[in-house]
Amino acid sequence: MFLEIKDLSVKIENKNILKSLNLNINKGEVHAIMGPNGSGKSTLANVLAGKEDYEILNGRINFKDNDLFDLNIEERAQEGMFLAFQYPVEIPGVNITPFLHSAINSKRKRMNEEEIDNLSFAKLLKSKASDLGINIDMLKRSVNTGFSGGEKKRYEILQMSILNPDLAILDETDSGLDIDALKIVTDGVNKLKTKDNSFLIITHYQKLLDYIKPDYVHVMVNGSIVKSGGSEIAAEIEKDGFQKFQ
Amino acid sequence: MNIEDNYLKNKKNIFFSENKDIQTHREKLINIFKDDRFDKKNNESLKNINLKNFIDFKYKYLIPEETSVINNNQENCYSIVSVNGQCSSFKDDKIEITKIIDEDYNDFSKNDTIEKNDHFVNLNSLFLNSGFKIVIKKNNNIKIKISNIITDDDLTIFQKNSYICEEGSSLNLIEEYENKNNSSSNILNVIKLEKNSQLNHFLIQDNSPNHNLIITTHSSCKKGSTYTQKVYNFSEGYVRNFHYSELIEANSEADLQGIFFLKDNNTSNNKTFVKHLAEDCKSNQVYKGILNDRSKATYFSNTHVDQVAQKTEGYQLSKGILLSDNASYFSKPELKIYADDVKCSHGSTIGPIDENAIFYLRSRGMSKIAATKILISSFINEELSSIDNEQMSEIIQKKLIRYLSKVK
Repeated sequence: MFLEIKDLSVKIENKNILKSLNLNINKGEVHAIMGPNGSGKSTLANVLAGKEDYEILNGRINFKDNDLFDLNIEERAQEGMFLAFQYPVEIPGVNITPFLHSAINSKRKRMNEEEIDNLSFAKLLKSKASDLGINIDMLKRSVNTGFSGGEKKRYEILQMSILNPDLAILDETDSGLDIDALKIVTDGVNKLKTKDNSFLIITHYQKLLDYIKPDYVHVMVNGSIVKSGGSEIAAEIEKDGFQKFQ
Repeated sequence: MNIEDNYLKNKKNIFFSENKDIQTHREKLINIFKDDRFDKKNNESLKNINLKNFIDFKYKYLIPEETSVINNNQENCYSIVSVNGQCSSFKDDKIEITKIIDEDYNDFSKNDTIEKNDHFVNLNSLFLNSGFKIVIKKNNNIKIKISNIITDDDLTIFQKNSYICEEGSSLNLIEEYENKNNSSSNILNVIKLEKNSQLNHFLIQDNSPNHNLIITTHSSCKKGSTYTQKVYNFSEGYVRNFHYSELIEANSEADLQGIFFLKDNNTSNNKTFVKHLAEDCKSNQVYKGILNDRSKATYFSNTHVDQVAQKTEGYQLSKGILLSDNASYFSKPELKIYADDVKCSHGSTIGPIDENAIFYLRSRGMSKIAATKILISSFINEELSSIDNEQMSEIIQKKLIRYLSKVK
């Protein structure tokens, strides 16, 4: 199993958020998690990425034959996990290009691969940015600083395409995007999809799933997955909302 | 030994002891110390320090054997080595360097802007043993680099310097303080900028733990002149940077910046006091600190806008990153505005490093320590990238790397 979440319970500040959650993702699969506000979707994304604010009460997560809890945040990223943030953090003064260069080389180092030099990286970045309709001038700026909501999300996908993860978690990447930006972002995701990588897409709306076709859709309510199936569930939610699952 | 005994014992080695007016002034200062009523709560010069350690000292001064001024006329660049607070006299058609004289002392002591209850300034006047005066002649554009050297352990340097930028002149002044011996320097700089002159003043401070450095600067700007001060404090010993600035004629400007990097038990005290006394003047103050371990810092900022100082622009900003729960940074920005057509603001942000930013960077594969270091660098990136002197920029980058290498 590529990613196996077994009986996961998590709390933060005395509030139980995830309750005996189970989820399995195989290599090459696209899974979508849909759920109402406050159901724990972003908590799941953050726990997978290793955010340290949460207390794991129970359960285990295996990722590529590793016990995920044995890996710290950066080790998870270096092992091929990528979280596209719902609210990407603005970091003034940290320039995008050297930051991404350093990020890709930290992953290559862990994989015992040769580090990518400045020139090759610049070429790679330029080409990936062009695919996503990102202006080259934007790459001279600081990480997410002064970006519009759409630019931030596009920049998350640019990072994803550079780092080429094995498992990408997209936390409400569609929020704040107009229809054109949504198309560019989802095109970028679809280009990255191969039989060797997997996606976990968190969203409220079916719209995103019109562009990225999921193999499985899960409904998450009150910290647990209450229903799993195919794309028809997304259509059902679009029509009737989450009420019937609660 | 009490202050009076200390003074009387060393009087013969102290500048201008024979001058009766100066002697009278010093007697008044001694009486202030005799009163021994130090208001630790409200006196900003006493925060975070034990004044007793500075009053109860053993006076020691050595007249330097060798000082130098080397000029390179092609680049209009002068290198000065100041030894134990003194430097050689020098004169050409662009600058004149002389020793300070009695009249200069009066100029310092009659200054009303510098607080009378600043005990370090009073100690400086009382035990004055060194100093120099530099005049930049009209319409000249020059660079000066001053290396401040103290030759022996246990020396107590009390130094007054005077800088005068004549009309239309421009001075880029770099001062390096890198003392490794067990000594102390108490320096008062008085800077006068005449009409349309400019002074860019860089101070790099990188002293060892047993060297105390106390710098008080007073600048006054006439019409159309600009004083810029940038202080980079990497010292492991105590440093005090106080700056008093007066914008006395229209369209003058003071731009004050201080960045300090503290660790272990070190302390840095900072103060700026800017008086807007004429129309259309600007002041900008940015003080940033990175504090690790049990280090402490203070920043008192006061902008006073006189009622005649219409169209003033005055900005104050202080920011601090606390890398340890035991580090502390006390910031107190104040504005006193008596004019009604002004643009003024002040702000202060102090806290630990942004955990969300750390998580974001780590989630891209960067280690926690690398993420912390990159965020520290980014915190001061704006100030570092504004340095237009390549040599300075390189020096500061190297010192920053050294500081970051100790961050765990």
